[in-house]
Amino acid sequence: MVPGPSLLQLASVAYIDLDDLELHRRLSQGEREAFDELYRRYGAAAYGLALRLTGQQLLAQDVAHDAFLALWRAPEAFDPARGAFRTFFLSLVHHRAVDTIRREERLRKRQERASNLEPTVGEDVAEDVVAASFMGQRRKEVREALTTLPPEQRQVLELAYFEGKTQVTIAEELQIPIGTVKTRTMAAMQKLRKVLQEESE
Amino acid sequence: MNHEAMQELLAGYALRSLTGEDAAAADRLLVDHVPGCLDCRRTLEAFQSVTADLALDAEPVSPPETLLPRLHREMGAQARRRRPVYLVAVAASVAAVVGMGGFALTQGARANRLGVQNALFTDMTDFTQRNNASMTPVGPVSEVASPGVRECYIYGTDVPMPAPGYVYRLWLETGSEATFAEDFLPEDGVVLLRLAFDPSTYDKVVVTEEPAGSVPTTPGQPKWESTPQLAAAG
Repeated sequence: MVPGPSLLQLASVAYIDLDDLELHRRLSQGEREAFDELYRRYGAAAYGLALRLTGQQLLAQDVAHDAFLALWRAPEAFDPARGAFRTFFLSLVHHRAVDTIRREERLRKRQERASNLEPTVGEDVAEDVVAASFMGQRRKEVREALTTLPPEQRQVLELAYFEGKTQVTIAEELQIPIGTVKTRTMAAMQKLRKVLQEESE
Repeated sequence: MNHEAMQELLAGYALRSLTGEDAAAADRLLVDHVPGCLDCRRTLEAFQSVTADLALDAEPVSPPETLLPRLHREMGAQARRRRPVYLVAVAASVAAVVGMGGFALTQGARANRLGVQNALFTDMTDFTQRNNASMTPVGPVSEVASPGVRECYIYGTDVPMPAPGYVYRLWLETGSEATFAEDFLPEDGVVLLRLAFDPSTYDKVVVTEEPAGSVPTTPGQPKWESTPQLAAAG
């Protein structure tokens, strides 16, 4: 059965065609509908990212909640001159998630399980929301770009980004010099930079 | 430090994976070098863009249906006290903010802000001459103050932006007690705040990086701080 539009979708009809910048401008003026539309666009990406990092639904919900509330409370933290809204907001979610998992060391053991987490009832994979959007296309490009990395570079990158580990911790866990961690990290970032820039051109 | 070493630091910084001396070195780099180096600025922006793209590797998952109603409830409560939140907190902690302290966080026409900034800069210059004030470094900003005078300025140029979604938070510390003073963000690298306290009555001035909009209860890890000797001599 195909579900009908939710109240949120109906309420956002007038905002659905606005770009992120315009939505942010309106949100800055206190327009809740603009907030709702940004939530519709980024809620699943934010929650999915937070879930991947924290490995726990309640914590992921708190991370997404805090990020969206921070956006509402301090919209001026986003400076359009410094990049796209998506870059800003997903970085915000990532930073919150990293802060959370570093505070909650005990959650680390659950991360491996979480990284393979299958969506459960009520947690439908939200590809329907984003598949036709730029984010869906970009997701495909990012995943392809990651496959171009040598395994040892991808490993340090994923430990840093998706597990919130510091370079010192990564060096200890992999039993390699920290200089090697730094070198692999930079090589991975430069490679992704090159591939992803080419993709977006 | 050569550019390769710098870019290694920038890669770690963009991933938020630096600690200890590397984190301090990155902070120095962001203040002393990156603002004036086009290559490093582009590299940092590109690395930050890469880290944002990495977020998309995580499978999108619809948030629980309770999340948006929860946000709406808290947005309602927040909307009523949204703007005054900083000023109320300041008023409760360090008496009153003088004039336009914290203007960098306020919204409004850019031209108007620049006008305010220029006027405030003139005020700071007058204050410095009138009180024979001295400058105490607090990372990339300086505290402009004169002992016994219950007014001071926080001023800096080429101040890097905090991480996305974060603000800088100014605290006054004496022993283990910390008093919240102000949240601020650089504007085009410039920070200029006027505050109503005498820094010489505190041990040191500390700046932390905190999530924007969070309630200032206790300071996090100091990002920059004044050295006690300089503050005392202040």
